[in-house]
Amino acid sequence: MRYLSWIYLVACFIFILLPVGVLVVFSFQDGRLPVPPFNGPTLKWYAEITSDRDLMAALFNSLLVAAISSLVALLLGFLAASGLARVVLPGSTLMRALLIAPMTVSYLIIALGLLNYFNNIGIRPSLLATGIGHVVINLPLCFAILYAAMGEHQRNALRAARDLGAKEWQVLALVSAPMLAPALGAAFFLAFTFSWDEFIIAFLLTRFDVTLPVEIWSMLRSGLSPATNAVGSLVFLVSVAVVVLLELTLFRKVGK
Amino acid sequence: MTADVSITGVRQEFGDFTALHEIDLKIEVGEFVVLLGPSGCGKTTLLSILGGFLSPTAGAVKIGGKDMAGVVPRARPTTTMFQDYALFPHMSLLDNVAFGLRMRGMSRRERNAKAREMLDMVGLADQAKRRPHELSGGQRQRVALARALAVSPDLLLLDEPLGALDLKLRRQMQDELKAIQRKVGTTFVHVTHDQEEAMAIADRIVVMNQGRIEHCGTPEEVYLTPQTLFTANFMGEINTLQVRKAGQGVDSPLGALKLEPTNGTLCLRPENVGLSGPLDLGQAVLQDMAFFGSHLRCHFRPVTAPEMILTANLPQGTRLQTGDQVHLFGNSPVLIAEEAA
Repeated sequence: MRYLSWIYLVACFIFILLPVGVLVVFSFQDGRLPVPPFNGPTLKWYAEITSDRDLMAALFNSLLVAAISSLVALLLGFLAASGLARVVLPGSTLMRALLIAPMTVSYLIIALGLLNYFNNIGIRPSLLATGIGHVVINLPLCFAILYAAMGEHQRNALRAARDLGAKEWQVLALVSAPMLAPALGAAFFLAFTFSWDEFIIAFLLTRFDVTLPVEIWSMLRSGLSPATNAVGSLVFLVSVAVVVLLELTLFRKVGK
Repeated sequence: MTADVSITGVRQEFGDFTALHEIDLKIEVGEFVVLLGPSGCGKTTLLSILGGFLSPTAGAVKIGGKDMAGVVPRARPTTTMFQDYALFPHMSLLDNVAFGLRMRGMSRRERNAKAREMLDMVGLADQAKRRPHELSGGQRQRVALARALAVSPDLLLLDEPLGALDLKLRRQMQDELKAIQRKVGTTFVHVTHDQEEAMAIADRIVVMNQGRIEHCGTPEEVYLTPQTLFTANFMGEINTLQVRKAGQGVDSPLGALKLEPTNGTLCLRPENVGLSGPLDLGQAVLQDMAFFGSHLRCHFRPVTAPEMILTANLPQGTRLQTGDQVHLFGNSPVLIAEEAA
């Protein structure tokens, strides 16, 4: 019985991690195709992609869009959550539902909607348009995380701050935000990784400057190559780094 | 630093529910007033109105003669000590206490000096660098008090601040609160449902029930001469007897008693029932008895009314055994007329 459960655990991890493992292994393939047999390790594909201007530009674009759009989504989500947690208005429930609703809509639909709308108001497909799209998908996420983190305890501390003479912006900046630091961090990093990985919106809303997923897609059109594996490995590395950072800093504090 | 408070005709409605009916109350400069009542009696609502967290449906609140209508908590000369302390977990004790001064634009050096002084007053000067989560409940309590008093409010509002402490610590904090109030001279309005706490600290107790003030007076007045049956019951254990006018006295289940002719209820505290006294209660049989340290708690069955039980606290040395028949007497009887009850 004991062995069986161990076997089950190992099988689960293999199922989850094997594709990524294969991707990483064949990024070191010394040959033209990332398929078995494995011909011995080489770093030449990494050298090739890091000297690829377009690819590096796309990587930088992705970082930029992810960072800025996540910050904007975080700020808007924080303000919305603070407001809705504090006052009970007629229709509060409806407003909360409306804020969270975009989470349930497929990215493709959101992208199409934005494409239409941006066309009408004259915003060209660009990194800016993609960034706005990423705010649209990440705002509900940030709002939901922050709203859930604002408990009764927090409410009383905010009341105390107001009582002691803090203006509304001081309450938010000096008491609310520091108390919510773990949730703010978690929301930011989640939003960051979502934006970093996002393809459909970026594909439809960019033209000349593209983000990394779009660039990878155009590389894939010319067929499989260990170079795409190498790019994938780099992307994966960034995601892993974010998760590890999150575990080491924020979640450990929350556990205490 | 300190101010009087006048509450006139304050009414608070939440939808169909009326939490406060026409409350009128005057609080003197530097007075320690306790709002006492069971949960849901409106005492916390009244406190929230004083602090500006609620605007009353009708009526006016004046603090130091100034009308507080439309004045937000930030701009009021009041601070509140919250039930769960509501300290800022991410700040040191010093920063917590100095927060109000910082909001008033005081320089860092000045406000830290003042905050240290306040922490010193509550006996936590050596812990200034620590965070709230490192403290015990009683210590957090003290920090909350220091923080609320640091801005020198005219009026300090205390929302059941001792509720979460254990009994011994609560008694100790009561003494400290009272001593600190004497020292700073600020007007205190304190909310509690514990009548012993109210008597221990209050200059004046305001007994509240279902959104109305039942009785307002010194602890002695409220305890010894309650105006209503509710107050009598709420302030401590009590024996009650229904009485009716009968000639020069009253008729009761124990027979005729020599009291002012009234229709209403006779109230006798257990410590006012004994083996001697001015009011003859007739013969009674001791049912059971328990040793309570400071007194003996006895249950008597009156001979004339065997269906009722009288509780009496007798002095320690009393030599009685279960089944003994004795003559009982009452001291300081309180008669509450029907219309008042």
